This record gives sequence, C-alpha cells and structure tokens, in this order.
Amino acid sequence: MIRQYVDATRFPAVFMAVRNLSRSRLRSGLAGLGILIGVVAIASLGMFGNVLSLGADDALGDIGNQVIVTPNADGGIDTIEESTVTDIRRAIGDTPAVPLRTGGGLVEYGGASTATTIYGIAEPAAVYTAADGRVPERHRQGALVGASVAEQLDVRVGATITVDGQTHRVVGILEEVESFSPFSPNDAVMLPEDAVGDGSGYDQVTIEANSGEEAAAAAAAIEATVNDREERVDIFELSSITDEIGSFFSLLNSFLLGLGGISLLVAGVSILNVMLMSTVERREEIGVLRAVGVEKRDVMRMILVEAALLGVIGAAGGVVVSVGLVGLLYLFAPVDLWILLHPTNVLYLLLAFTIGVAISVISGLYPAWNAANERPVDALRS
Amino acid sequence: MPAIELRAATKRYDTGGEVVEALSGVDLAVERGEFVSIIGPSGSGKSTLLNLLGLLDSPTTGGVWIDDSNVTDLTDEEATLLRREQVGFVFQDFYLLPTLTAVENVTVPTVFTQGPPATDRAKSLLSRVGLADRLSHLPTELSGGQKQRVAIARSLINNPQIVLADEPTGNLDREIGTSILDELRRITDNGVSVIAVTHDELVNEYADRVVELVDGVWQ
Repeated sequence: MIRQYVDATRFPAVFMAVRNLSRSRLRSGLAGLGILIGVVAIASLGMFGNVLSLGADDALGDIGNQVIVTPNADGGIDTIEESTVTDIRRAIGDTPAVPLRTGGGLVEYGGASTATTIYGIAEPAAVYTAADGRVPERHRQGALVGASVAEQLDVRVGATITVDGQTHRVVGILEEVESFSPFSPNDAVMLPEDAVGDGSGYDQVTIEANSGEEAAAAAAAIEATVNDREERVDIFELSSITDEIGSFFSLLNSFLLGLGGISLLVAGVSILNVMLMSTVERREEIGVLRAVGVEKRDVMRMILVEAALLGVIGAAGGVVVSVGLVGLLYLFAPVDLWILLHPTNVLYLLLAFTIGVAISVISGLYPAWNAANERPVDALRS
Repeated sequence: MPAIELRAATKRYDTGGEVVEALSGVDLAVERGEFVSIIGPSGSGKSTLLNLLGLLDSPTTGGVWIDDSNVTDLTDEEATLLRREQVGFVFQDFYLLPTLTAVENVTVPTVFTQGPPATDRAKSLLSRVGLADRLSHLPTELSGGQKQRVAIARSLINNPQIVLADEPTGNLDREIGTSILDELRRITDNGVSVIAVTHDELVNEYADRVVELVDGVWQ
C-alpha cells in the first residue's frame, strides 16, 4: 500500500494528504476520473488536430516552396529566352532556378509503350533525386525515368528506351514524389535539354526555395525585375495558399483544444466540489489539527496537496489513455508512424498533463483557504 | 508564579444585535501541577473559559497570562505555536484522526515541525497510558477509554505546561472514567497543570480545587 512509502517526517503534507484521500477511495477516484477525461480530451483532440495538420503539411510537401515561371502566353510570348533566365537568376540570387523544356510523346520499351510528358532539363539534380541509378549534376546524355513510367514499362537502369523515336539509355529512375505538385515527375521522362524542342528558349523555370517566405520573396523579385518593363513571364507561386491552409489547421487545432479545455474546466469544478465536501466533512478534524498546533499554512498545504495528487493521478491516467487512443488511430487509420511519433504530439501530452494538474491545484485553492482560515473554536463547537 | 492565569477576563458575543456576555470579569490562577475542576450548568461560560485558556479565542477585555507573560493579543501564528508548545487538549469526543494509527495520532502536533520524528516519544507515552500493545491500531479498532488515552498521550507529546480537558469522562462509563482521571492525576505529578471542565461529579474527587461558574461569574 502507498501509505508505507510516504515519509511523514520529510513530506508531512503529502503523508496526511495520502491518508485523507485513501479514506474515501471512490470519491477520490471519481474526481481523478474527471481530470483523466479532461486530460484525454485535451491531449487526444490536440494530437488528432496536430496529426491532421502534419499530414496535410506532408501531403502538400514542398509545393509552397516552389515558384514556377512560364512564358506570358497572353502577351504573345511563347518561350523564355536565355537572357530572361539570366535575369531571373540575377533577381533571386542563390536560390536554384532550373529551366526546362517540355514536350509530350510516346515512350517505348520492350514492346510496351505509354504517352508521357517529356522534360528537357540541364540540371536535374537541383530538383530531383534518384531511387535507382543516379541523377547527374549536368544532364548531357541518357534518360531519367519517372517512377510511374518506370513501373508501367518495367524499365530498369541501363535499359534502352525509345522516346519520340529516338533511343536513350536509362541512367536513373526518379524517386516517387508523393506530394501534390502541378508538375509531377512521376509520369515524365527527363532528357538532356537539347533533345527536347527546337533547341532555343525554355517552356518553364522551376525555382526551389527553402521556405515559403523565400519562395514568396523570389516571386516578388522576379515580378519587380524581369517583368519590370514588359510582362515577359507568368509567375505561379503557392506559398500564400499553403499559408492559408496552415492557418486553417491552426484554427482547427485551437478549436479542438478549446473543446478539450471545456471538459477539463468541468473536471476542475468537480475537484472543487469534492475538496469542498471533504473539508466540510472534516471540519472538526481540521479544527483539532489547528487546536493542537498545526499552522494555517500547513493545513492549506495539506489540502492543496490532496487536490494536486488527485490531479497528478488523473492526469497521468489521462496521458496513458491518450497514448492508447493515438495507438488505435495508427491501427485503424491511414496515418504514418512518424507523424504520430512527432515531438509536437509529446508537447500536447505535456500540455494536457500540466493543465490538468494546474486546474486541480487551482480548484483546491478555495477549499484549502476556507478550511485553513476557519477558527478552531468555530470548527469544534458541536 | 501561576502556570496560567485569567485576569478580569470578559467575553461578549454579538449574536445578531443582541450582545451576550459569556464571561464577566473572571479571575483564575492555576499553579504548576495543580488539578482544577471547573463545574457549572450548560451555558455558564465553561467552554468560553476553556477556549480563552487554550488560546483558541481572545477575551473582549481582560487578559490571559502564561508564566507571567501576557498572551492576550497574539497573532494567529503566535497563538498556534504557543498552543503547540505549552497547551495540550483532551476533548469529550476524543477527536482522533480516523486515518492515522495510535502512534501517528499522538505525533500529529509534531508532524509539521522541523526536526526528528517524535515517534519514539509517542510510543513511550502510549506505553505509559497502558497502550503499548495498541500502537498501530486505528481509532476504529480502539475502545472509548483507549481512544481517550491516545488523546491524553497526544496532549503530552510536546511536554506542555498545561493540559485542558473538556468533559474528559463525558463519553465513558464510570470505571473507565476513573482510569482516565488516574492518568490525568498522574501527569500533574510531573508539574503539568490540568484544568478540566465537566459535569461529572467524579472529576471533583480527583481535583485539588473545584470552582463553579454560573452565568459567567464564579459562584
């Protein structure tokens, strides 16, 4: 039993509090249960919201970091000139800009064929990584095959494929890109620049920034310099949209936390009620404590420790239950493990635990103050 | 020099417009080792008197003196500390904490203080009142007389000068009451003053002095 483990001489308030709580186990248990439920509400709703938000972030991937520059077709411009690419690079400084040519055509291998997008790209390594083989820094020869195309045609590194009537050796299979992107490489084949189009100008420049802010700044810089005199290019940039999606999820999260907070508040009221009832019932006992020389602050401390213990036990149970619920989420919902194990989820657990204990202590303040300040003469007058 | 003194103590209560005078200029001096029994009908002011002596309440006028020092208007904290060191209480209803064993109940006045545990002293006090074999019993496992012995041991844990007993035999039959009074009589041998408030004629047989209070004045 717990009573043996509490040292009366070092932690007298804890010693007395444990004894008092063990006196009415059912009532203490129910009060702790209230806190448990409140903590579960905050922790699980908070973590579910967080998991949603992390999952959405993951699905959107780096799209917010990309700026896609295309020729201003409405202005009658159908290619991006070499000089425009130079202007773009000058405008954005160190951020990598990858110009590419696009086309479409039939890819054939071993009797099978499929229609794909064909990109002519000089520096694919800046944007893409290989699942197999390698992605060259400077793309002079050979083909890089997108994941879906490779799977469809059963192409491996070293095979020779026919693209638009010309043969190319496959030097790399690209890693599958899961996130949503307007220019997915999965269904594409990448060739050297010169192998696509008529050999001058580009159809698109992709800029890979490290953050949404950098992407927005790059877009603004291009708008201010390259499009200064003449609308030469269209600029497509998604960071503002991903920002809005992000703020939607943080709103959703605060809403869920608010719901959890309400249930914890209710639990706090139940602790207040239990502590008040228990101090009223123990009125004479507390009066005796005061009469035999126990100071006000010790009585107050003792009752606060009782409330805190209820809170700690309830909140610890709540954390355990919440972890279990998140485990169920992993079993029954298509959520990646790394999202569930993300450190921010632990933060929600800690937050819920702390709020649970804090609410219990705050709820104990009034009963403790009330009991400690009653005059022993009044408490003992039967 | 008296161990404890009331000097012209008057206590008035304001009960909703009507002022009731529970004590009217009462003097009382109790010497060291003296056993004083205070008798009187209900409402005579006995409990008020005991509350003043026990520093649980202050007189409206007049004063309380312990060892020739004025303790009339102490702060709550000062009064609490003085109660702990100088005054032991024995109540009619024993007022033991139901969650604590006999030994733990005896140590209660020392639990919240600094220093080593008073457990050994509690055990020897319990042995002295004949409860050596009941040390780790809970109050529910003790008879009325045993509970009152635990309460007497508790009142002595800090070596007080004064023990105040409020109807100490009120809930006990005559035989057990006698044994409790024997215990109280015995502690006066160590120089402790015992002041008992009672209806019980039996108490008077053990007291050095019996005083009667009627309507807030000595009879």
